[in-house]
Amino acid sequence: MTAPITPPLVRMQSLHKSYGPAIQVLKGLDIEMQPGERLVVIGPSGGGKSTLLRVMMGLEKIDRGSIMFGGKPYISSDGLDKKTKIDTEVRRSIGMVFQHYTLFPHLNVVENLILAPCKVRKERKSDATERAVGLLTRFGLAGKAKAYPSQLSGGQKQRVAIARALMLDPKLMLFDEVTSALDPELVAEVEQVILQLAAQKMPMMIVTHDMWFAKNIASRVIFCAGGVVVEDGPPEQVLGSPKEERTRDFIDRVFHIRQ
Amino acid sequence: MNYSFDFQSISFAPLWEGLMVTLELTAAANIIGIVGGFLLALLIMSPIAVIRLPAMLFVEFFRCTPAIVQIVWFFYCVPMLFNVFLGSMTMGILALGFNLMAFNAEAYRASIQAVPREQIDAGIALGLNPLQRILYIVLPTAFRASIPVLLTNGIGIFQQSALVAIVAVQDLMYQGKTLATETYRPIETFTVVALIYFAVSFPVTQVVGYFERRRHLLMS
Repeated sequence: MTAPITPPLVRMQSLHKSYGPAIQVLKGLDIEMQPGERLVVIGPSGGGKSTLLRVMMGLEKIDRGSIMFGGKPYISSDGLDKKTKIDTEVRRSIGMVFQHYTLFPHLNVVENLILAPCKVRKERKSDATERAVGLLTRFGLAGKAKAYPSQLSGGQKQRVAIARALMLDPKLMLFDEVTSALDPELVAEVEQVILQLAAQKMPMMIVTHDMWFAKNIASRVIFCAGGVVVEDGPPEQVLGSPKEERTRDFIDRVFHIRQ
Repeated sequence: MNYSFDFQSISFAPLWEGLMVTLELTAAANIIGIVGGFLLALLIMSPIAVIRLPAMLFVEFFRCTPAIVQIVWFFYCVPMLFNVFLGSMTMGILALGFNLMAFNAEAYRASIQAVPREQIDAGIALGLNPLQRILYIVLPTAFRASIPVLLTNGIGIFQQSALVAIVAVQDLMYQGKTLATETYRPIETFTVVALIYFAVSFPVTQVVGYFERRRHLLMS
């Protein structure tokens, strides 16, 4: 195998994370992600999937390990002084969408979108608003620009949240179970938007329980359990004919094959 | 019972004067309570124990003693202990204001801590710095959430303010007592006094209800 000429987009090395002495969530994760990849992380609850994304976003401290982003040091902890160093400049090139309470309830849709561009990047309000309206139009939300989050359906909220993250031109998008809290009939509209981004080669890391969506969107699937990567490969392999016993068990159970 | 009611002998002028004093007390105490309560809430959430503990002691003192004791204590003990002599009106405002400050601080604290963790996470993910997250996300949400409780506490103080009559502040209750003694018509007088308190309080409670319904809609 030849080494890629461009550095990997993400290089996680030996990530360790525990909540207290008893609960180890990440037990030495090593993951590399190339630009343009769409990584779907699946696995049982408590296996460390969401923690992995939260660490990647810089929302959680780590006990040990490091992450490089685009060839630059991003997060590191040597495990001695219990301090996690996070480069907040690098962090700004990552966007994330969450499962719950994603939008700020006191701001309308456009205000939600332009808050960060205006405050963080000091963009002019008129410019940011113009970009916001453009994005909303693309996502079929042009009519909702002045609506408040409480007036939107769950699916609309999540689409607005995605648009809000895109306002900052992220180089990587993280999706943490963004459809898990939605009514089944609203899932498709959110997945469509993510597929739209995939078509534009947006690199993304996705945690999902929706195996059909995983199959559609992934360029690579990682099966995470017990705080380690159990299996890592193309979706046809990991979801279709997994090599590892534990992956097979999990896949069988979510697809209800044995019953 | 053959008591014949006589509302004719109740003169409204002193009651009106008393109501103005009561409203003045309420307004001043609410200004202290709303502004001071917010600052106090920041103190009780401080990670530094030297700041947090005295603030908590202040809050718990006012929450765990009867308001009437606080008023009497302010009126008699503060001048003696600290050698300050303020007018009875000022004393009344301070006692009620500090009481309200303690209750409002708790309201602010509860609503600040009720802002979902995910909202702050979303702020981090959008690159907002800690101060921006507090100013643009936590405080606007928390302040809106605390409005119903602030109003309820505020109208509570309007009613509690009747207690300052015992330290000779000439509020609505004081005027009512005086009038009852002068006219020998306590039943009629206190009925009218109660109705006046009700007429002011009731609309405010309706406004609180409106805010709460709206908030449930907003948060759903």
